[in-house]
Amino acid sequence: MSKLETVGLTKSFSGLVAVKDVSFHMDEGEILGIIGPNGAGKTTFIHLVSGILMPTSGSITFKGRDITYAPAHVRSRIGIARTYQLIHPLENLKVIENVMVGAVFSKDKSLKAARKSAEAICAELELDGLNRDTTQLSILEIKKMEIARALANEPEVLFLDEVMAGLNSDETKQVIATVQRIARERKMAVGVVEHVMGVIRELTERVIVLEAGELIAEGPYETVSKDPRVVEAYLGGAA
Amino acid sequence: MKLKGSYIAVVAAAAIVIAFPAFLGAYPLNVARSVMTYMALAISWDMLLRSGQISFGIAGLFGLGSYASALAVLRGGMNPFASVLFAAAFAALVAFALGFAILRLRAMYFSITTLALMEIFRIVMQNLHDFSGGPEGVVLPKIIFDGYSPALYWLCLGGLFLTIGVSWYFEKSKMHLALTAIRNDETSARSNGVNIFKYLLIAFVATSALQGMMGAIQVQSYGFTTPDTAFDANFLMLPMAMALLGGIHSTIGPMAGAVLLGIASEWLKLKIPYGHLVVYGVIIILVILFMPQGLFGLARKAMRNRRKAGANNE
Repeated sequence: MSKLETVGLTKSFSGLVAVKDVSFHMDEGEILGIIGPNGAGKTTFIHLVSGILMPTSGSITFKGRDITYAPAHVRSRIGIARTYQLIHPLENLKVIENVMVGAVFSKDKSLKAARKSAEAICAELELDGLNRDTTQLSILEIKKMEIARALANEPEVLFLDEVMAGLNSDETKQVIATVQRIARERKMAVGVVEHVMGVIRELTERVIVLEAGELIAEGPYETVSKDPRVVEAYLGGAA
Repeated sequence: MKLKGSYIAVVAAAAIVIAFPAFLGAYPLNVARSVMTYMALAISWDMLLRSGQISFGIAGLFGLGSYASALAVLRGGMNPFASVLFAAAFAALVAFALGFAILRLRAMYFSITTLALMEIFRIVMQNLHDFSGGPEGVVLPKIIFDGYSPALYWLCLGGLFLTIGVSWYFEKSKMHLALTAIRNDETSARSNGVNIFKYLLIAFVATSALQGMMGAIQVQSYGFTTPDTAFDANFLMLPMAMALLGGIHSTIGPMAGAVLLGIASEWLKLKIPYGHLVVYGVIIILVILFMPQGLFGLARKAMRNRRKAGANNE
């Protein structure tokens, strides 16, 4: 059954159409790759689905419930979490508190219970030194902390927006593999935006391709990567 | 046990300040009341600041509380003690209603709006001649507790303790996570389930109630007020300077700043009447320029450096 679905989702910024008529769905427990050249609208699409931006037209449903215009905090409470391409640490909170935020506000946990589940999630992601300030973390650790925070929301649908930008592909694979394992355990659907195609090929079951805001291809990576429209989008029409 | 030690220290400190009237005369108690009032305002200003919102309206809520309490006694025949609670509730209600409009503003737009509201409250009180006494203000038939100075001191101390308690709760509960998350990164807060408006509203209403309550305690202890006294810029400038000096985003920082600056200001008022406001202004500028984390921030930094140095020597 599809968890998250969009129909004709469109977002335009005074004339510039960043996302155009995108209809997609995500199923329980699936890992979906979201790819496309720079400026294709991948991040805007995630902003729309997570409520950071409101769409111009189209609709979004989550488990059959219309959430097209639901505010971001409501979406995270009902089960949609995400990370950001650019890091968003809460620098006046300790690492553990950063992770707890997700559990406290999305799942209404007590501070004690939130701390316990945050510790468990950090352990799974092999993130330690939880009483440090975020300024003491390496970039890999900050990324892990933000994934941990998203997981602490206990989402049913999770988006990782180029979560590993700036890291090498081994680190990226390792972290995404951990997320994949957690996703299987929790039957969580994960949407992965990634430029490293090796990661997409290895970890995702299905891929959607965006170009200039439009969904141009969909299917297993092997099929999609041979689609002439996709090749053209990446390499340019003249070739 | 570190926790037990600090618990004992807090109880001991509270016991000492409760016992002050036993060995202090009327004048020092008066000074203490003034310091405590500013301290409560400094703490409450800081509580909202933890969300990143800089309010310039604390003197407005303070003055509103003063008038609500005085008029409830004068026009409504309310018991003076009950009027303090009434003033807190009234300030909370006003903040709740205004919050829907102004808490969507950020940074200087919020600050300027709160400053304007303070001025509006003052002008309203100044011009409602028949109801509020106009520019001459209001005089109460009698001072609460018949002006018995230890009782006035304890009343003010009670208000301060309540403020400290609420601030401590803000520091130890999920309010701390919510307000800090909002201050650091609203986008991140939102996508982790924080209902930003709700927590800003809680903080704004709670701090306004405390400010209104302190205003009420003030007016009941002096027996009169005027628009210029109730909405005095002192009740804005001094608490801000205190919190900044001591160290913002904490309960202890504004408290320390209030003790230092409160006592210094009593002395300054005697030495350079009306010039003391200039001194506060200079303090705010110097603190912001040279130690934006305040005295407690400096102390924390020094401790960290010493620990680091110690670790390097090993």
